[in-house]
Amino acid sequence: MIRTEELTKTYALGEVSVEALRGISLEIEAGELVAVVGASGSGKSTLMHILGCLDRPTSGKYFLSGKDVSELSSDEQARIRNQQIGFVFQSFNLLPRTPAVENVELPLLYNAEQLTRSERRDRALAALDSVGLSERAAHHPSQLSGGQQQRVAIARSLMNDPSLLLADEPTGNLDTKTSIDIMTTLHALNEKRGLTIIIITHERVIAEYASRIIELSDGLITEDRPIEAATAPLAGV
Amino acid sequence: MLDAHAVEIALQSLRRYPLRTALALVGMAIGVAAVLVTVAIGTGAQSAIRNQLRAAGLNIIQVKAGNYRTKGDGGGGVLAPHAFLLWLDGWLAPTAHAHPENDPMEKHDHPTAADRLGDSKAGLGGAATLTQADADAIEALPGVANVAPGVHENIRAYAGERRWFTRLHGTDVDLPLIRRAHGIAHGRFFSQRELRRTEQVAVLGSVVRDKLFGEGADPVGETLTLWNQAFRIVGVTESTNWMTPGTVGDDAFDAVYVPFTTIHRLLNVTNLNTITVTTESAGEVSNIAKAISKLLRVRHAIPDTAPEDFTVTTQASEVLAKGLHPNVARVLIGNLPNLDRATLQELSMTLERAARTMKALLAAIAAVSLVVGGIGITNIMLLSVTERTREIGLRMSVGARARDVGAQFFAEALTLALTGGLLGIVLGVLVSWALESSLGWAMELSLGGIALGFAVATVIGLLSGVFPARRASALDPIQALRYE
Ligand SMILES: Nc1ncnc2c1ncn2[C@@H]1O[C@H](COP(=O)(O)OP(=O)(O)O)[C@@H](O)[C@H]1O
Ligand SMILES: [Mg+2]
Repeated sequence: MIRTEELTKTYALGEVSVEALRGISLEIEAGELVAVVGASGSGKSTLMHILGCLDRPTSGKYFLSGKDVSELSSDEQARIRNQQIGFVFQSFNLLPRTPAVENVELPLLYNAEQLTRSERRDRALAALDSVGLSERAAHHPSQLSGGQQQRVAIARSLMNDPSLLLADEPTGNLDTKTSIDIMTTLHALNEKRGLTIIIITHERVIAEYASRIIELSDGLITEDRPIEAATAPLAGV
Repeated sequence: MLDAHAVEIALQSLRRYPLRTALALVGMAIGVAAVLVTVAIGTGAQSAIRNQLRAAGLNIIQVKAGNYRTKGDGGGGVLAPHAFLLWLDGWLAPTAHAHPENDPMEKHDHPTAADRLGDSKAGLGGAATLTQADADAIEALPGVANVAPGVHENIRAYAGERRWFTRLHGTDVDLPLIRRAHGIAHGRFFSQRELRRTEQVAVLGSVVRDKLFGEGADPVGETLTLWNQAFRIVGVTESTNWMTPGTVGDDAFDAVYVPFTTIHRLLNVTNLNTITVTTESAGEVSNIAKAISKLLRVRHAIPDTAPEDFTVTTQASEVLAKGLHPNVARVLIGNLPNLDRATLQELSMTLERAARTMKALLAAIAAVSLVVGGIGITNIMLLSVTERTREIGLRMSVGARARDVGAQFFAEALTLALTGGLLGIVLGVLVSWALESSLGWAMELSLGGIALGFAVATVIGLLSGVFPARRASALDPIQALRYE
């Protein structure tokens, strides 16, 4: 599903340059739930942005579903983000003063073949229902709890039936109990739909949900190992 | 770049920021309203000046049959050319009428109007050298606004037992347009249809009404008898100018107006005594008067050396010659051909120039306020590009292309400008009405002014949208998402 060859990313800051990634080669199969861990500043977000076609590597290759996407035009990358990739952010990134259902509809506005208003609405309501928020469709983000907002964001990321879900510290702003709810939801999506999920986190407990852990340090992979018991280790907490 | 979809997204976003949207709309609306109101003030002032000049009669040219410089009115009666000219006119433009009685002094081998109508005075008004064809030719001259043919008679008007000796004017339906100070007190002026069908309808001057029906009476529908013929009264005309109310003996309100075609039919004549002409602008009076003289000399085949068989007078020359012996007047006007131009016409042109300058000045001020409105929209859109950077990043992360984001911001600016423009038109119309009714200013709202305001709003919308749209679409998705 995903294969990268010697990805590097260098940020030039005037005289100084920061090497955020220094040669990342990895392979991720369809249906995996991968946790990317590492200290702050180790390059996790940078990697995720490249994997999500939001950014390009300075050098190296990135194949998504067998296709080299690192050289695509920005319009083609936008189309891949729209159709194949879902994002979940630490800060939820919902449009303020906008009802949950309209937030969820957002990706549908940029589909190549445009849907009617009622088709969009129906699909958004169904997605909200699948994350247990059908009662809150008309609520604005400010009227929702953090956990509910992240559920809305998850519903949004699923709108175009992506094959890859990228979550950058999705529980970073949530308390432990809510974090478990969110992780259970993501885990279920991986199990039931076979959705490939990459979760960035620096919390070890969250990483325990994954079937595989990749650790980054200073822009390099320092550890890459599978986890045997991938069943809700925090259930008793 | 813009499709219905972008507009839909833009509307969603505008709804999300009601205060900002409202502020931008107000700025734009005030700009457009300012244009509308100032143009209305300028145009209003200009036409107020024009109307005053018109009411003063400065744009009226009178063409009279005959030439008082060579005959009549106690002048040096050397030449009485009408018989010759009638013959000439008949030769130039043979008419279908058998034995018209255009010259009442001719002997006729048929019963004349006096015999037929049983009124010994009928048809004795005088020879007429002007024709309807002359009037039509004058109407075709550039700069001419209205042309009213006239046939004039002295007449005894009867209403039951009462009678009054007055003037009868056969004229056209245009007369109320020409004589600005004529108001309709009761009923209406006669119509084009009545004129065409030579109907026996009459409009009374207020003095005639007072004498025959009593002060202030409404005689519409009553019968007036002229030359033993019954005329239906359809209206009463009175002066709208308190400085010159109708008085006994004046030519305007001590008078009866009927269709000139009706007089033609009753008297079996075809010619006209006068042609009254108005010009579009008072400044053109002298030139057009000259053009009319030239035209009629050609039409009447008058050699360069021979005197004219008609008299062209402007209100200005009439004012100057008022009360003078015709010979003196002739010398005065003949020797001072530019006098009227140097005074009244100069005055009118100066006034018009001043009005034009004022209008241009007002329009410039209004344009500035529109530009300010437009800059307001640009400003608000640019601000929102910064403020909404994370929104832009988010939209890009879910698949919006740079051009989708650009289109959204462009559509937002255009929507603000157009909606603001429409609001501004409504506001401008309301303010114009308010100013007109409260301060009594002459406001003239024109479709042109409204179209101009809206067109400028559109252009400003387009211009003010381009820059922020570029800005928004140039953002890098990552930078935008990370923006704090
Ligand atoms: N846009 C940028 N410009 C300059 N340096 C950057 C930029 N983005 C990230 N970096 C740097 O790259 C390194 C990796 O950052 P990041 O991928 O965000 O780390 P993580 O997500 O693991 O905390 C850090 O040193 C960070 O300062
Ligand atoms: Mg990070």
